[in-house]
Amino acid sequence: MFFLPRDPVSIILAAIIGCLLLQPAPLPAEDKGSKPGKNDRLWALEKLGKPINPEVQDTNWPRAPIDHFILQKIEKAGLRPTRQADRRTLVRRAYLDLHGIPPTTGQLRSFLEDREPDTWKRLIEELLASPRYGERWGRHWLDVARYADSNGMDEDIVHPVAFRYRDYVIASFNNDKPFDRFIIEQLAGDLMPADTLEEQRRQTLGVGFLSIGPKMLACDDPDKMRRDIVDEQIDTTGRAFMGMTFGCARCHDHKFDPVSIEDYYGLAGIFLSTKTLTKYSVVARFHQHDLSQDEHTRRRGKIATLEKHKADKTVPEEEKKSIEKEIQQIRKDLPPVFEVMGVTEYPTEDAKVHLRGDYQTLGKLIPRRLPKAIAGQDQPKMPSGQSGRLQLANWIASPDHPLTARVIANRIWHWHFGRGIVTTPDNFGHLGQHPSHPALLDHLALLLIESGWSIKHLHRVIMNSSTYRQSSIADSQLKKTDPENSLFARWKPRRIESEVLRDSILFKSNRLDLTMGGSMLTEQSHKYVDRKKQKEYIKSMRRTIYLPVLRSSGYDSQKAFDFPDPAVITGKRNVSSVTPQALYLMNSEMIHNSSKALAEVLLGGTPEANNKDRASWLILHLLGREATPTERERGEIFADTYGKDEKNTAWAAFSRALFATNEFLYIQ
Amino acid sequence: MNLCSNRKPAPTTRRAMLQQAGTGFGALALNAMLAGNGFAASKPAPTTARAKRVIFVFMHGGPSSVDLFDPKPLLKRDAGKPLPLKEPRIVSHKTGNLLPSPWQFSQHGQSGAPVSELLPHIGSIADELCFIRSMHCSNSRHGGALLELHTGSDTFTRPAMGAWINYGLGSENDNLPGFITINPSGSHGGAGAWSPAFLPAKYGGTRISGSGANMKIPFIDSPVTKKEKQLKEINLIKAFNMEHLATHGTDPELESRIASYELAFRMQMEVPGIQDISNEPAHIMKMYGADKTPTKSFAEQCLMARRFSEAGVRFVQVTHRYWDSHSNLRKEHEKLSAEMDKPVTALITDLKQRGLLEDTLVLWGSEFGRTPTAQGNDGRDHNPHGFTMFMAGGGTRPGIQYGATDDYGYYAQDKPVHFHDLHATILHLLGIDHEQLTYRYAGRDFRLTDVHGKVVNGIIA
Repeated sequence: MFFLPRDPVSIILAAIIGCLLLQPAPLPAEDKGSKPGKNDRLWALEKLGKPINPEVQDTNWPRAPIDHFILQKIEKAGLRPTRQADRRTLVRRAYLDLHGIPPTTGQLRSFLEDREPDTWKRLIEELLASPRYGERWGRHWLDVARYADSNGMDEDIVHPVAFRYRDYVIASFNNDKPFDRFIIEQLAGDLMPADTLEEQRRQTLGVGFLSIGPKMLACDDPDKMRRDIVDEQIDTTGRAFMGMTFGCARCHDHKFDPVSIEDYYGLAGIFLSTKTLTKYSVVARFHQHDLSQDEHTRRRGKIATLEKHKADKTVPEEEKKSIEKEIQQIRKDLPPVFEVMGVTEYPTEDAKVHLRGDYQTLGKLIPRRLPKAIAGQDQPKMPSGQSGRLQLANWIASPDHPLTARVIANRIWHWHFGRGIVTTPDNFGHLGQHPSHPALLDHLALLLIESGWSIKHLHRVIMNSSTYRQSSIADSQLKKTDPENSLFARWKPRRIESEVLRDSILFKSNRLDLTMGGSMLTEQSHKYVDRKKQKEYIKSMRRTIYLPVLRSSGYDSQKAFDFPDPAVITGKRNVSSVTPQALYLMNSEMIHNSSKALAEVLLGGTPEANNKDRASWLILHLLGREATPTERERGEIFADTYGKDEKNTAWAAFSRALFATNEFLYIQ
Repeated sequence: MNLCSNRKPAPTTRRAMLQQAGTGFGALALNAMLAGNGFAASKPAPTTARAKRVIFVFMHGGPSSVDLFDPKPLLKRDAGKPLPLKEPRIVSHKTGNLLPSPWQFSQHGQSGAPVSELLPHIGSIADELCFIRSMHCSNSRHGGALLELHTGSDTFTRPAMGAWINYGLGSENDNLPGFITINPSGSHGGAGAWSPAFLPAKYGGTRISGSGANMKIPFIDSPVTKKEKQLKEINLIKAFNMEHLATHGTDPELESRIASYELAFRMQMEVPGIQDISNEPAHIMKMYGADKTPTKSFAEQCLMARRFSEAGVRFVQVTHRYWDSHSNLRKEHEKLSAEMDKPVTALITDLKQRGLLEDTLVLWGSEFGRTPTAQGNDGRDHNPHGFTMFMAGGGTRPGIQYGATDDYGYYAQDKPVHFHDLHATILHLLGIDHEQLTYRYAGRDFRLTDVHGKVVNGIIA
């Protein structure tokens, strides 16, 4: 028998049938027994309900409504919340949480010395107003947006202007852009009306979200390519904003969640009417908008005409010289083309159902539309001359959408506490986890909507609560009963992320460069990224968020501390404590250069001081607290016995040791 | 057996030894460290395992099977004629006419396996090898096929097979990573080929690049050259951490980090010895060809692979490139064969001499093969439809040739083996049921083989 290889498309698409083999996730203990099926009503699709503040026994504890929701469950479990953290701990927590950099000794002092009753509140305001905030919280969103400066996958083509999307995300957080608008811009910013070029640029930058995903760029089958890109966009959009895994419905009705294969192709039509690539042959190219000022475009056009004329052999030399002069004149102060990576429109088309996901086996034609189980039968009309992305975006960003506000409120909570109310922040379906505090989640979602989708408002509400201000030094019985802290009856120390670690070490050794924005890449559009340059990038003193993220490579130091694979959505990073982290903190060039620099600062600033005082200074500087007498003595002994005439190296080693302590590495 | 549950590793002798060796560390902390927070800590090997570790000798670019292992006399007879078979639906370039192999084949050993004159050393150990001559995959481009070979998917980002194996079995040696890739290709997938993707980061591959003495695990060398000085530093960290822990009370995460510095220190002591190939005896260096060009570079990598494997690294990959002979086939394949033939042969022979081949699976192969048809007059195009890979040791049947391509060597015809089947078989040899090794992510329980994969029983001894 002559064997014909399996068709690549059906192999790949059949792979997605893997969803069929799934078993639902184990439910929290109290919910066990009911096995969800797609006919069961999914909790997350219920309309947001305004919950009533639950009754609690200890009425003194709550500062804010959210404390009622938390305390009620703690009391129900027969437990008590942990006492509030001391002010010193709190101020460090707030800086690390909101800025990703610890406070300076001066900042710490001014907080401690300010005894007004609203000091904490004002501190939060101050931190939210700083541009450092957007660099910290924008990075959280970039995890969800699988942000990268290169394509990765099969051909690691550079994303030379993706940095504009990254800077847009940072600015959006800093400006507290209403989150509903933030959603719309990321899905359809190019389709929004704009009065000025500035506005058009700002909005169009958002659709970088749809373009920066990983794509197979060398594929001999353009139809497969296009559909895979659409699939990645549907999957990312669904999970990032709605916590729904629509991708499962590419081949069949979702096994557990109310998403049919027809729903999928209703969405696929929208994305098939959206243009991501401009060239499909190997190696494919992605679309970039040219949003230059008209005048600049005109000047560039003029230059092109003149160049052409100049190239004409019949033109006499004299004239050529004058043309050249003219060109130079026009070129003066002409900025480069303002390019924006992002999708644009295609002629609209509706998609036919791909039976078993195979585009060569087509079924029924599905007009572009929204998923029925969530959007209902009464759907917005899809325009004939536009993809429908704007309609999709408006629907997702609507206050009536049951998922959107819940999903982002949960993400914010997760990023503050290291644990979500729903512990599967990218999956609110039947295979995700149920919320530990469903009423609290609705409360937060409604607060968000009522505040005009202000993320900063949510920070205020959360951080001003008693829940947030609990100590991490908790009763051992409590830790035993609730090791995962699902009751939020204490503050669970959590390791700082890879970026926070690097930024904090650089900052504390006076090396951090706080310049914002821009790109370090020098590659031209559509070229391969130069991976060798990563060695230079990592030596930069800029905040880590500004280092180019290359999908085919990555920084060993960042990866060791669980920097996520930038090709997949990550609403929840892994937190490991693996040996390479210890090796990095003991041996890396970065830690050695930083500790040396810090030792110089120390010795230069305290030439007359004794070793005990130096130890005190370093402990206060790095850990934000006074040294104990034992520690002062320890510092003295260490410096005295480290080696003859090795004052600098001894204090560098002492600094390194402090950088490696749990006290430095954990938000507590 | 449910491999995706949070199994606690059973204590091993090595672990017990480490506990005793711990200098003043709380046993509790060390336990926490070893129970899965170091490099992927070892887990009990399933009882049916035939292999304990894998060495993947990867040929990047696509060596031509009809020129190395799969002789096709009809190519000579019909030279210059069009391919008399139906073309695949999708091809990268126009299909040329049949191009006979410029090289002679002869049969080797008891098994009579045909091997080209380009690979005399490999030919000499043909009886140790298990050839699969009916490999095929789904993607005709390097990046796609490479990712398919390494991760099972040419469409989405998925964990590499080394990461899956590391996740499934853990490291045999807690002082070492469980998955090391030496000089991998940065292009055509790059980190995708050793990425943990959605698996926890500790299961991902550790990349070692460079050559000779510079091939090193990241951050393994300390700028503090005096060990007693570094110990002082580590003791200082410990002192601060222990006081902090005393205030905080028991916390497994904090405790495991406390232990990690000591573990890292021990690793730092152990690893340079493993990496230092200069202390290999001269006859071994010579056997690998580490003593001279053109074999030196790849020989060093193969030697290091053996040393890591011997020390307990579950999955070690070496990469040899770049076999993409669209033109200059004669010159390029000759050169590449000469670089690779001796080191690979020596690796297998060396493992056997040390009694390691029995439970070490060596896999040789590429993301695809090359067409029996010509590109230009001295080149061949990519062919994912039929090509040869070989294995040795680790419970495979030595001296067999499994499966076959058609008479022209274009399509896998008899007993075709897809990459999914290869993955299922490798896991099987390691004692893992490929349908049981799952990880939940984004609403699905993912597998290396997705919904595919059949164990190829015919190649198992």
